[in-house]
Amino acid sequence: MNKQILINDATLRDGSHAVAHQISAHQIAIYAAAAEKSGVPIVEVGHGNGLGASSMQVGLSLEDDRTMLETARKHLSNSKLGIHVIPGFATIKRDLTPALDIGVDVVRVASHCTEADITQRHLGFVREKGKEAFGVLMMSHMASASVLVEEAQKMELYGAEGIIIMDSAGAYLPCDVEEKISALVNGLKIPVGFHAHNNLGLAVANSITAIEYGAKILDGTARGFGAGAGNAQLEVLIAVLEKLGFFTGIDLNRILDASDIAEKELIPQIPVIKSESIVSGLSGVFSGFSKHVNRISKEYDLDARDIYRELGKRKVVGGQEDIIIEVALDLIKKNK
Amino acid sequence: MKLVANNLIFEDCKKSCGDIKSLSELKGNSILVTGGTGFVGKWISEIINYINKTGDYNIKLYLLARDIVKFQRQVPHLADLPFISLIEQDAGNIHQLPIDINYIIHAAGSPDNREHVSQPLKIIESFYKGTSAVLEAATRLPNLKKIIHISSHKVYGKNEFEKSINESFSGKIENNKLDSIYAESKRIAESLCLVYRNNFRLPIVTLRPFAFIGPYQDLDKPWAINNFIRDAILGVPIRILGNGLSVRSYLYGSDMGYWIIKSLLEGEAGEVYNIGSAEAISLNNLAKKINNSLDSNNEILNKSSKDVYTDLSVIVPDNSKIIKHLRVSQNFNLDDSISRTIVWNKFKK
Repeated sequence: MNKQILINDATLRDGSHAVAHQISAHQIAIYAAAAEKSGVPIVEVGHGNGLGASSMQVGLSLEDDRTMLETARKHLSNSKLGIHVIPGFATIKRDLTPALDIGVDVVRVASHCTEADITQRHLGFVREKGKEAFGVLMMSHMASASVLVEEAQKMELYGAEGIIIMDSAGAYLPCDVEEKISALVNGLKIPVGFHAHNNLGLAVANSITAIEYGAKILDGTARGFGAGAGNAQLEVLIAVLEKLGFFTGIDLNRILDASDIAEKELIPQIPVIKSESIVSGLSGVFSGFSKHVNRISKEYDLDARDIYRELGKRKVVGGQEDIIIEVALDLIKKNK
Repeated sequence: MKLVANNLIFEDCKKSCGDIKSLSELKGNSILVTGGTGFVGKWISEIINYINKTGDYNIKLYLLARDIVKFQRQVPHLADLPFISLIEQDAGNIHQLPIDINYIIHAAGSPDNREHVSQPLKIIESFYKGTSAVLEAATRLPNLKKIIHISSHKVYGKNEFEKSINESFSGKIENNKLDSIYAESKRIAESLCLVYRNNFRLPIVTLRPFAFIGPYQDLDKPWAINNFIRDAILGVPIRILGNGLSVRSYLYGSDMGYWIIKSLLEGEAGEVYNIGSAEAISLNNLAKKINNSLDSNNEILNKSSKDVYTDLSVIVPDNSKIIKHLRVSQNFNLDDSISRTIVWNKFKK
């Protein structure tokens, strides 16, 4: 087996969730340089919710988009600079155009898994500019395999050069990965990818299952630094892929060094699977909610697990962070 | 710069039309083109402009479309021509057409498959209502001679085994897929044409277009050749998405325009003709050809969900029927088509 797997390192983007979007330009510079040395193909940078997302609703970034991207750009030459873009947060004129001018190479345009229609203009714009465009379906556990294929096919027609499904809630079991990745590989012309979260301790296993069933793109983060229980741990992923005979172009020793650097310079607390993370995964709640849920549960003296369960029942998706307070207030009323 | 692009098109029309004496029957006649501001409408306008200028044929052209302002902005040299009248209307709302119309080219409806999957209901509705309204209005035209219905090769369904598709081919259409909506809508439109031809004796000819290339085709349309040319002009890697062994063919815009005009005169009512090039090429070779045409060495990337394909998509027409019956020929081969498209795109602004 010598199949090539494209690795997208989301440490400086998904990791942003884990520190309430407080990653500094200095930290970006240090990690980007380390990732570059390791031969990481794509280094994704920005606010956890992507370009243009810094806001009171989902959290204000320490640094603005321009600073983050310009800093990363300076330290990446062979590695491509990637961004996560959710139409609605990011507009073409205000956000995407300047980002491409700064030198972004790869744009991953994301939508909720049943709303691919919103990505048409952004994907088209990126392709028009000659940059690499991928489609991302977030919270993909909320849609059936056939719906995911239909939505992914739309993105393919809009110009996506690959489709990544995100297990944003860390809710997948390997059998779910098998079903959905197989359906996408069969239903699409373009490569398929998988972005894992570790709520149920399956992030690396699920990623490997994804490639066994035809995925060619995997996401990971140093030490699993990411929202909620974190992502597929990149250095572990690379080691396992190497052992399985896959080619990533990443130097294992250097990515181990990069993850050590990340632990020292970037990650205040290594992600662990806390009790509420397990409940969050079982309830299918967006991992990006964890900071907000922790804060609000403390503020209102509620059990975070109850909030996750209620959010799961309401099928809340990324971008609806303001509903967490509503849920908390409802729980207080019920508890009275 | 724009003058160069316009001159190129005039020369293209000259080459495609050849001796225009065979079109003398069109003298003093009026032609309506629905969807008149799109790729087909613009090329019909260019061909008629060439014929009128060269032969003093005084052909009148009505272009009916939803967005006339866009047309006026994009191609003022056509919009300002005295023999062209612009009608801003949705084809589905047509009731009364100008009484002097002799020929109709019904080309309304977008072939852009991004729209088909994003707005499937609108697609079905626009083809059904648009075609019904045009045909109904046509029954009230006293001097109508011919209607050309521009259908699509998509009505044939999937072809994996034939080297080319003839007019009697019938492949599988996967009804339970969103991207079949366009094919099904075109089949509904063809059925309507059949009914109006049978019940109202409307003289309807059906053309089933395959792929075209040339000036007036936006390079951001989601089709391989457009994207390859765009990437090559931008100097970025040419990206082949999916199976690079898929086979396609491309007819140049001015040839397409002339063939449609010829079908007004020579097309037999009730007949179906493929319109497209028989010059087949794989996507892999197409990308290389485009690179050669630009004398560039852009990287060519294959991006595919599968490592091995068990099926092959071949979308190439058998165009022998239209060549024989309408006495037309392909004047621009693929090399010419690509190089002229590139030149036009460089000079259009």
